[in-house]
Amino acid sequence: MKIERSNLIESVRSLKKEGFDYLLKVTAVDYVDHLTAIYFLRNLSKSVDLELEFDMDPADLWVPTIMEHHPSADWYEREMYEMFGIEIRGRKAKRLLLEKWDGKGSPLRKNFKWAEPYESM
Amino acid sequence: MAITRINVGPIHPSTHGVLRLVVDLDGDTIVKVEPHIGFLHRGVEKLVETRMYMQSPPYMEKIDYIAPMSVDELYVSAVEKALGIDVKERAQYVRVALLELQRIASHLLWLGGICNDLGQLFTAFMWVFRDRDMVLKLLETATGQRMFYVNMRLGGMVRELPEGFDEKTLEFLDYMEDRMKEYESFIEKNPIFIQRMKGIGVLSRKDAKEYGVTGHVLRGSGITYDVRKDNPYYVYKDLGFSPKHQTQGDNLARYRVRMMEIRESIRLVREALTRMPGGSALGMPIKLISPNAKNRTVAVSRENPRGEEMMYMVADPQRPYRLSIRAPTFINLAALNHMAQGSKFADLFSILGTLDLMMADVDR
Repeated sequence: MKIERSNLIESVRSLKKEGFDYLLKVTAVDYVDHLTAIYFLRNLSKSVDLELEFDMDPADLWVPTIMEHHPSADWYEREMYEMFGIEIRGRKAKRLLLEKWDGKGSPLRKNFKWAEPYESM
Repeated sequence: MAITRINVGPIHPSTHGVLRLVVDLDGDTIVKVEPHIGFLHRGVEKLVETRMYMQSPPYMEKIDYIAPMSVDELYVSAVEKALGIDVKERAQYVRVALLELQRIASHLLWLGGICNDLGQLFTAFMWVFRDRDMVLKLLETATGQRMFYVNMRLGGMVRELPEGFDEKTLEFLDYMEDRMKEYESFIEKNPIFIQRMKGIGVLSRKDAKEYGVTGHVLRGSGITYDVRKDNPYYVYKDLGFSPKHQTQGDNLARYRVRMMEIRESIRLVREALTRMPGGSALGMPIKLISPNAKNRTVAVSRENPRGEEMMYMVADPQRPYRLSIRAPTFINLAALNHMAQGSKFADLFSILGTLDLMMADVDR
């Protein structure tokens, strides 16, 4: 289901009331000219899945946090920030999740530069 | 209230991999646990983008090295769905039988691990290794490999089941049923085991939903969701699968769910082998793969031994454009802080043990 970024919190809240109270996964895809954020929600008692997605401009990368409604979004959002450089608005903790990353860029973006192969062996 | 901060890991015998925990204690009571992950991050999702579809299965298996076939199968299913390939009927039965055998092996290793974590029952650890090895030997006769099978092709399997596989497996299943009675009799009557499991690490039904936990942790908290039942794939519907659950939400409930799951897997393997139709189970040779992806985006879910694993794939003609993996242990570990709060420090490892972590899966 396509939504607008500004409607995300409202959609998540109203869907939660309708029974979609389980968050399966939050992820993103880099389509170069735009990025898509995808939220997988599930109604556990009826076994129905629902995907919420919206597009973002690469120059304006942020999503609002949905932790208030789904605490399980915590690590997914941090992963998104680390892997795609998508800013999560409304969050206090900014610690990277994997935190071993000392290079530049966001690894899962298509413009990410791989390390040069080491060839002098 | 003076808070003591203790560092656990990243190398620690009870974390089953490279996991660092920063634990805040008030006396001996846990106030907060903060897992630090990423020591085993290999960038699987990025590497997959650089390889052709069927170059990836061997690497996928390393995501979960205790139950490699389950991840391999999930990835191949995602590719099948993207390319619009149907799985042969016999191959569906073969896959179910092998996957359930894999689940038995994985659960057995976990059982040994948790008994070992509790410090008293090294006997169990030795016993499960004996039985797990029998499963691995069966899988070896079926696939040629003891641990990393790479046994899936699009639409089927790499090779047919060998002669005599059915008889050997049925014999093993009978043996295993007796062994399960034995395990339960000496584990559940052990007061140390019960004391360290009962009422520890409670996760209520509501919290299980909120924290998005999955697999045996979810079912241990009274929610019966199981992908094999609620979003059935292959022939699970025909085999009459019913999910196992407990309502207490503590360590003991999670242990009991897993023991019941082993019994259910034994039944499923037996059922699949006896009902297996004739014909061929062979999949497509790799070079015949159609380069046209029918579905641009696919999401496939499987009930893996550690919980629900999902792959979301954006397909390009030759290779995945993006593969996003929902790792079951990743999200179960995220709930650890909530489960451990208020417990004693020594109980942290029994809680961690019942989560059945796989750090390669958490970090990817």
